[in-house]
Amino acid sequence: MKKLISILTFGLISFLHAEDPLQFRNDSLAVKNDISFSHLSVFLEGGEIYPMGDLMDAVESSLYGGIGVRYTYWENVDGIVMFQYTYIKPKTDIYYDGVYQFMGRVGADWKWPLIHPVVLGAGFTCSWTRADAEQFYYEKRGGTLTDNETEFGWYARISLPVFKYKKFSAGFHVLWEQLWTLPKRSNMLYAGITLERSLW
Amino acid sequence: MNSFVKKIVSVLAVATCSTFASVDAEMEGMEVVSRDDGTFLIGSPTFYFDRALGAGGIHSESELWTPRKLRYRLLFNRMSVLPSWDPIETPSMWMKTGNELGDLIYQDFITDKDDRPVNRTPILELGVRTPLFHGFWGTFRLFQDDHYTFRSAYTYRNNWVDDKFAFFGENLPMFSSAYGGFGFTNDFINASVLAGMEYIWIFTESSRWFPVRYKPRIETRAEVGNFSATLVYENAEYQNKRKKESGERLEVNGSIVYDCCKNHEQNIMQLSTGLMFRVVDDEGDVYTGLKSNRVVWPFLEMHSRPMNRLKFDVTFGINNRDWLVQDSVEYGIPIFNKMNITLGAKNIAGTRLNPIADTYEYFDGDTISLTAKGHMNLLQGFVRIDDTLSNFLGFGIRGSFWAEQGAETFETKEFVKDGIYTLRHGNVARINSWIKGVTGEFRLNLWYKELLKFTALAGFERIDGDEKRFEVNPSEFFVAFNADWLIKKSFRISHSLRYRSDAEWNLRSVDPLVVKGDWYWDATFEQRFPKYGISLAGTIIQALGKEVVETPNGEYSRVRFFCTAKKAF
Repeated sequence: MKKLISILTFGLISFLHAEDPLQFRNDSLAVKNDISFSHLSVFLEGGEIYPMGDLMDAVESSLYGGIGVRYTYWENVDGIVMFQYTYIKPKTDIYYDGVYQFMGRVGADWKWPLIHPVVLGAGFTCSWTRADAEQFYYEKRGGTLTDNETEFGWYARISLPVFKYKKFSAGFHVLWEQLWTLPKRSNMLYAGITLERSLW
Repeated sequence: MNSFVKKIVSVLAVATCSTFASVDAEMEGMEVVSRDDGTFLIGSPTFYFDRALGAGGIHSESELWTPRKLRYRLLFNRMSVLPSWDPIETPSMWMKTGNELGDLIYQDFITDKDDRPVNRTPILELGVRTPLFHGFWGTFRLFQDDHYTFRSAYTYRNNWVDDKFAFFGENLPMFSSAYGGFGFTNDFINASVLAGMEYIWIFTESSRWFPVRYKPRIETRAEVGNFSATLVYENAEYQNKRKKESGERLEVNGSIVYDCCKNHEQNIMQLSTGLMFRVVDDEGDVYTGLKSNRVVWPFLEMHSRPMNRLKFDVTFGINNRDWLVQDSVEYGIPIFNKMNITLGAKNIAGTRLNPIADTYEYFDGDTISLTAKGHMNLLQGFVRIDDTLSNFLGFGIRGSFWAEQGAETFETKEFVKDGIYTLRHGNVARINSWIKGVTGEFRLNLWYKELLKFTALAGFERIDGDEKRFEVNPSEFFVAFNADWLIKKSFRISHSLRYRSDAEWNLRSVDPLVVKGDWYWDATFEQRFPKYGISLAGTIIQALGKEVVETPNGEYSRVRFFCTAKKAF
């Protein structure tokens, strides 16, 4: 009880005195139990993006490629950071050929112990877009993309790293992404292959 | 620990749990966006109405001067945390970026121009605080909040300024600030000098937004022994491109406080005394004025605990123009083993809620007086019951009755239209009849080790008085459910689901502006890396609720998402 009271009292004091948001680094037990980055690997991946819902009338399927880092977070959970690139071509009558799109994602992967080697992941995503256009016609359809446009969203992903050889692994992945756009949300499905190398 | 102290600590424990979930604020000072335990209406980062249910009176907290706000920013007649010049104390580097949700991206290919949603806008913050080097440290911070900027008011504001009026982008954000400097900290001294530049849109009693560029702003702070001092130099530039007006205000302000009993919390009495001052020199077209171009505000603060169960707090300030007294008394009565009843009373009386603010606003040939004759008097009595029922469950109840006479308000003489805005002529005035209020709040806490802290809150308030003369009729009730999860000491989820009832602005438009009640949901997801002192967080704010304008001439409060990365050195 005393311990609880101490924690709660400390909590109140912290609240009243603008708590240090990085205070957790001084928690010796948390530091001791922190196994993050005990393993780290890098990966390359590529595949195809399929628009879903309304977007099927807006853009064509496109190829994408990217790099990523996977690191230990908890015993059965990895943290994951991805950077990807694609070139999206419009399906409607737009006055430019396409749009450059960079994606950054931060999330976590859970290695499902029941069905090996299924890995389930989820996280947040951010897409930065810019039209491949030299002229700026804001009023025309697609005009907003001639300036930089950014939108956040979330993703869910299933990975199957079925091939393993020493420090290398390879497999398939499928990712569903929803960007929080308006007037409607934008959904896309990614399917591709991953080649991963463990660094430590 | 004797039993009474135990009870006090238990009450503190319950109070700790009762604080709102730790959803990250998009900027330091914007915590109010994620609060609904009262009336919190946001018009922009630089103007909001913030009144906790049960606070008593009809004013918002930011309208009231207190010694705690000596280092807050004075934005017209309000004390604001934002834009904060409090140096971040943890040696670290940090970055934050986000956006209001709802850009078009590829929806633009299938959306008619007329159906396009209004542009959504970002936030940005970058900063660093170095580790100590022989006691010396340096810091730099760049931050701007482009949210609440993109109604058609963009065109209106664009007519005021002759440049993009921000460090980044062309959204004309309500503030954009950058400063850097260095400091020295050891066991006896904590001193710093910061210098920077700032763009701010100020909201006034006439309901105008006007731009102020601080170029430069220099702030020095020092804490030596029992003394604490602040000295600020500001060169504020004013402009109205449309009317070809320009002006300049040189201002020096600051404070000095002597705390006779610092670090002696066990003393029966703690006393501190201080002085706050502002001196201005206006030239050209400046849209506000300070009587005699200066204000000096001496004050005294006293905390007294003559008995373990009895506590007095008094703050008193006076000068040649105003006086302001704020005092409270609390008496704790232990009932059962873990239950404590507190009886208390609070009083605020004075000629002006914020005696250091400007005294005039100049508006289209009219001079709006920001002071009113007479004084206000707010009395509140309350009873609070806190009970830690077990080591995982607690509850609290608070009931109060308050009465206020002479409440500050605005006497509108005339409304005028200016583009999409409705502006007003008139003067600050008083409601000389009594306003009475009764409040009730209930709190339930549930916690399990470090894993979970859950709070359910509910409150209601009934106010009787000359309501049509209130600037804001506060919300009458709210409910809130807040939870902080900390999984394996390294993954935090904080979220908050809330409802508040309607609130109403009465005096800033011909017809009252009703801000409809709604549900809101905010959440933060944070990955922590204790060994490396790293934090990665994503936060969603204002989800669920309908996007509305919450203040007259304010901007839409939109759903937004932002992510933050921090690394301690």
